[in-house]
Amino acid sequence: MKNSNAFHLHVAAAVANRFGRRPSRLSRRTRFQRAQAHSGQARSLRTRTGKMPISRLLASLLFVFAALASAQAKLKVVATLPDFASLAREIGGDKIDVTVMAKPTEDPHFVDARPSFVVSMRSADVLIDGGAELELGWLPPLLQNARNPKIEIGKPGRVQASQGIRLMNVPTNVTRAAGDVHALGNPHFMSDPIIAKAVAQHIAQALSAVDPANAAFYEANYKRFEATINAKLQEWGAALLPFKGQNVVAYHDSWPYFAHRFGLNIDIFLEPKPGIPPSPSHLAEVIAQMKAQKIKAIIVEPFHDRKIAEKVANATGAKVVDFSQFPGGLPGTDNYVKLIDTLVSRLAAALK
Amino acid sequence: MWEVMFWPIAACVLLPWLLVYLGLHVVQRGIIFIDIAMAQMASLGICLAVLFHLDLQSWTTFGIALGFTLVGGAIFSVTGKRASQIPQEAVIGISYVVAAAAAVLLLSRAAEGDEQIKQMLVGNILLVTPLEVWKCFALFVAVGVFHFSLRRNFLLVSFDRDGAYAKGLRVRWWDFLFYAVFGLVVTSFVRIAGVLLVFSYLIVPAVCGINLATRISHRLLIGWMIAWLGGIAGLFLSFWWDLPSGAAIVCTFGALLILISFIGLWCRRRLTS
Repeated sequence: MKNSNAFHLHVAAAVANRFGRRPSRLSRRTRFQRAQAHSGQARSLRTRTGKMPISRLLASLLFVFAALASAQAKLKVVATLPDFASLAREIGGDKIDVTVMAKPTEDPHFVDARPSFVVSMRSADVLIDGGAELELGWLPPLLQNARNPKIEIGKPGRVQASQGIRLMNVPTNVTRAAGDVHALGNPHFMSDPIIAKAVAQHIAQALSAVDPANAAFYEANYKRFEATINAKLQEWGAALLPFKGQNVVAYHDSWPYFAHRFGLNIDIFLEPKPGIPPSPSHLAEVIAQMKAQKIKAIIVEPFHDRKIAEKVANATGAKVVDFSQFPGGLPGTDNYVKLIDTLVSRLAAALK
Repeated sequence: MWEVMFWPIAACVLLPWLLVYLGLHVVQRGIIFIDIAMAQMASLGICLAVLFHLDLQSWTTFGIALGFTLVGGAIFSVTGKRASQIPQEAVIGISYVVAAAAAVLLLSRAAEGDEQIKQMLVGNILLVTPLEVWKCFALFVAVGVFHFSLRRNFLLVSFDRDGAYAKGLRVRWWDFLFYAVFGLVVTSFVRIAGVLLVFSYLIVPAVCGINLATRISHRLLIGWMIAWLGGIAGLFLSFWWDLPSGAAIVCTFGALLILISFIGLWCRRRLTS
């Protein structure tokens, strides 16, 4: 660290030198450059390292490359969605560098590709995706572009989180005529902490396979995560126990796993079909159902139209509860455990 | 960087020339939003294919989409009367909103996965594949040859309508031919680059050309320069600052247009003084 600072000083000095030597040729120097050149710091740098030998510059460059190389020794893990990234950080700790593609407030069905996505996928050692068609619209073309054999399906560097998990609501016929239904089943499985444990274990195994030297470290982190979730499950279960069997409305069908885990029913949706905007008649039907069943809460996510939920809430006296599938999607939820903490306490407060 | 940006850059070098040329026609005719209306027509066709559960990648779907653009072309050529009270742009705008709303209605009944349709209709220049670039290039070359061989009549119809009528050309038919080919070009480019980019490639270079030159050949040359410069610079900016590539190119075009306008203003001042 100390040495890399030294390098920065060298570069700054070299830059200052450059400006210092050629002021006359820069007829219109910017205010910034002028301030730089005239500042005492820059001048002292120039005098100190004015005749820096090339060999020293080269040496410091070499050092930085070496430092970069040692930084690259960290496993490069790319996660499609922030929930997978959070688990990867729990397991990988400081042995991995995690890049996450979708933002927590972004609709995971639609993500705008940026150049860095391709770059990070090209150099990735491990890719974690849902494997259940949630990222169907944007991941395949990225993978095609990245052409990275390490993260192909079936390689140890590819974690498909849904593998080995029994998905809910698998459609019996696959015409997709029933809306934006995912053929493999509902892909929003991470809201069940027990499934999250399984995914974490899957990630730990993959990291150990790719980086056997640190296998014990990953395994220990998994054990710790497992213990945290086990302890938290008691707490979460207790908080939602009074509301067992209650009905809750959601905008989109993202919560069957959460509902199943905590004994709630989240089977009424503001969308008539997944991915289809609500129609007036459907909303009227939802309002009637909510009144009949005295439903107290409507779950919306950051990328949904909150106004529709508010309208329905006004008509029924229910509360709109802001939810997120992803750590970071709500304030104070920078990791998975904190996210579930927040979801549970928000829902409990709304149902009281 | 090259591994990631090579094909996007190749697409920005190999493809825009035809769009710039067609853009000169479009701007001259004053039908700026026709490309978006055409693209929306095509997507309406695809929504219909969805309603009937057709395979989105099949030729039937492509045929339906093409059919809808031809319907659009027919509407625009019939309504483009010589002395009409209703400007052509109004008809284009109406076609756009009706097609867009009809697509919403169709989808609410049929409801295929929205993301697939989006992926099918609106491409991302960052993720073009070599095959897509070459296919589109081949189509553009064919259209380019077609336009070049019939350039006299096409130019006459766009740039001197009265002259075309005086010469006894069947202007409506030429219009229809122009729109049909235009629809093909626009829908195929939208699929690899997105709606924003098609619009920018058609309009911005043409406007820059018109700003700086009077002869069509000069305008075309200036337009090509601007298209190449804006596309490649936009891609570089998108890489350096990690921005969505299509939007970065469009904003680069915006900046270039402002620059060119000032240059144009300065040149005219010098000419008058």
